[in-house]
Amino acid sequence: MAEIVVIGMSHRTAPLEVREKLAFTDDAVEPALRELGALPSVGEAMLLSTCNRVEVYAATRGAGPAATLLADVRQFLVASHRAELATFAGHLYDHVGPAAVKHVFRVASSLDSLVVGEPQILGQMKSAYGIAAQAGAVGPLLGRCLERAFGVAKRVRSETAIARGAANVSSVAVQLAQRVFGDLDGKTVLVIGAGKMSDLAARHLVDDGAARILVTNRSPERAEALARRVAGEARPWADLEKLLAAADVVISSTGSTEPIIGKALMKGVMKARKHQPIFLMDIAVPRDIEPACGDVDGVYLFDIDDLERVVVENRQGRERESQSAELIVEAETRQFLSWHRSQGVVPTIKGLRERFQTVAQAEVQKTLATLGPRADGSEKAVRQLADSIVAKLLHAPMMALKGEDADALAAAVEKLFDLNGREQK
Amino acid sequence: MTPLFWAAALLYAGAAALYFGFLVGLPDRLAIWARGAVALGFVVNLLEIGARGVAGLHPVSSARETVGFLAWVAVGVFLFMERKRHLPAVGAVVAPGSLILLLAARLSPAGDPSNLALGVVGRVHILLAAFGISVFAVAAASAILYLLEERQLKRRRLTNVVKRGAALETLDGVAHRCVQVGFPIFSAALIAGVVWSAQIASSLRPEHVIAAVAWAAFAVVLVARMTAGWRGRRAAAITVFGFAATLVVLAFYLVRAVS
Repeated sequence: MAEIVVIGMSHRTAPLEVREKLAFTDDAVEPALRELGALPSVGEAMLLSTCNRVEVYAATRGAGPAATLLADVRQFLVASHRAELATFAGHLYDHVGPAAVKHVFRVASSLDSLVVGEPQILGQMKSAYGIAAQAGAVGPLLGRCLERAFGVAKRVRSETAIARGAANVSSVAVQLAQRVFGDLDGKTVLVIGAGKMSDLAARHLVDDGAARILVTNRSPERAEALARRVAGEARPWADLEKLLAAADVVISSTGSTEPIIGKALMKGVMKARKHQPIFLMDIAVPRDIEPACGDVDGVYLFDIDDLERVVVENRQGRERESQSAELIVEAETRQFLSWHRSQGVVPTIKGLRERFQTVAQAEVQKTLATLGPRADGSEKAVRQLADSIVAKLLHAPMMALKGEDADALAAAVEKLFDLNGREQK
Repeated sequence: MTPLFWAAALLYAGAAALYFGFLVGLPDRLAIWARGAVALGFVVNLLEIGARGVAGLHPVSSARETVGFLAWVAVGVFLFMERKRHLPAVGAVVAPGSLILLLAARLSPAGDPSNLALGVVGRVHILLAAFGISVFAVAAASAILYLLEERQLKRRRLTNVVKRGAALETLDGVAHRCVQVGFPIFSAALIAGVVWSAQIASSLRPEHVIAAVAWAAFAVVLVARMTAGWRGRRAAAITVFGFAATLVVLAFYLVRAVS
C-alpha cells in the first residue's frame, strides 16, 4: 500500500542561509514536480517552498519502500540546487506514514509556524497544492491528505483561539484603533517622523480602510520621501496642531529627545476637534508624546511598551491555544490513518464477501432444485436464510479487517479463503 | 406563573449567561447562540404578554404589567439595533436587565386593580413611558459598556471585555441614537402624565420630580452633544444616570401599586 512521506527543512531545523539555498522560485516549482514525478519511487508529489520552509510531500509508488523514496528525493533536492549533500545534512528532516500525515496537518494548521496561528501558511499550502494538482503530480492519496489538512486547519481556526490577537506591533496598532473607532473606513492617519515602523503601521491602517495618510517631519524632504513611500500627503511641520485636529490615528516616531506633543497642546487639539476621539501611538524612544496626554478625555495613548506587551500577551495566548489544536490534529490524524488502512484492505473485503455469496447462492440453487417448484413462499425464506447466515458470519472478520493490523489479517484471509486462487480460475 | 413566563425567563437567563461567557473570552459561537436565545425569548415573552392580555391583564392595566411589557420592548429595541451591528456586549447587559424587570413584574405581589382609575390619558401616559424607558434602557446598556471599556482602554489594558465588546464609537453611536429616539417619546409621556395628574387632581409626588430630573438629564445629553460636542464618557455617565432615575420612578409605582 502506498505511503505518505514528508522530507524538507524549516525554520526549526535550518537557519535562513541554509533555507534560501534550498528554496524554489515560483517558476522552478513545476519543472521540479515533473522531475520528482519521473522518479521511479515517487507515486505522487507536491512541493511547498516558503521563506520559512521547503518541503516535499510525496506518496510512494505502489507499495514501494519509503526509504528508497526518501533517498531519491534527498538526492533530487541536492542535485536540483547543484549543492553538496553536506550543505543540507543535519538540517533535513523526514517523516513517514502516520508521522508524515500529522506533520502535514500541523503545518496547515499553522502549529509548526514561526508565529503560531499566522494565517499565511494555509494560503501558501493551498496554492502549492493547486500547482501540483494542475501539473497532475498529486493523486488520490496525497490529494485526500491535503484536502483533509485544509479541513483540519479550518477546524483549528474555528474551534480554538489560536489565530486570535495580533502578533506584531503594527497589527496590534490596527486592532487597538479598531477598538476605538470600529471600522477605519474614512479615517485619517497622521504619521509624524519617518521611522520604519510608522511606515509599516500606516500601510496596515490603509489596508484596513483608512482613507488618507498625512505625513509631517521637521525636514520637509524626508516628509516628502515618506509620503511617497506610503502614498500619503506631506504637510509642513508648523501645522502640527492643525494636523492633529484633523487626524483620527496618529503614529509618532521622531528622533526628538524632547516630547513634541504635550498635555496643553492636546487639550487645545481636543477642543478644536470637538472632542472626537483620537488614537495616539508613540513608537519613538525617547517618547514623543507626554504620557499625561493620555489623561485628556477622548485621547487614547499607547507607547511602544504597551504595544509590545500586547504582542507578547497575544503570542502567549496562541501558545496556550495550540495545546487544544494539537488534540484536534491528533484525532484527525487517527481518522485519516484509519481511512487509509481501510483503502488497503478494500479488495480483500470485496473478495471475501463475493466468495461467501457465491458459495451460498450455489447451495441455495441446489436445495431449491431438489425441493421443486413451490408456491408457499418457502423459496424466498430459503434465500433469506442463506443471505443472513452469510452476513452474520462475515460481520466479525469485516470489522477486524477495518481495524488495527489490517495488512497482516488481509494476507491471512486471502490465504485461508484462497481469494487469489479464485481470481485465477 | 405560566409555563410561557418560565420559558421566557429561562431563555433570557440563558442568553445572559451565554453573552457573559462570550465577553470573558469563551468561543465566538456563544454570541450567536445567545442571540438566538434572546430572539426566541422575545417571541415567547410576546406570547406570554398576549396570554395575559386575553386574561384581562393587558400592559397598561397595572404597574407590574407595564414593567413586564417594558422588559419585552427593551429586548425588541436591542434586537432592532443589533440587526446591523455586532453588539453581543450590549446584549450581555440587556438580557439580564430584561430578566430582572420580567421577574420583578411577575413575582411582585399583585395590587388591588380596582384602585386604578386610568382613563385614556393615563393609559397613553403609561404606554409612552414604557416605550421611552425601554429605548433608554438600551442606551444605558451601551453607555455602561462604554464606560467599562473606556476605562480599560485608557489604562492600556486589553481585557477580554475590550477585545470582545463593541468599539467605543459604535457604543457611543448606539447610545446616542437611542437617546435621540427615546427622548421625544419620553417627553410626550411626561406631557400626558401632567395632563393625567391634572385630571385626577393628584398632588406633586417625589416620582414626578425624579421623572423630571431624568428628562432633564437626557435633554442635557442631547443639547450638549449638539452644541459643545459632548460625547463619550460624560454623555455615557449622564445617560446611565437618567436611566437610573427612570428606574427609581418605576420602583415608586411598583411599590405604590402593592401597598
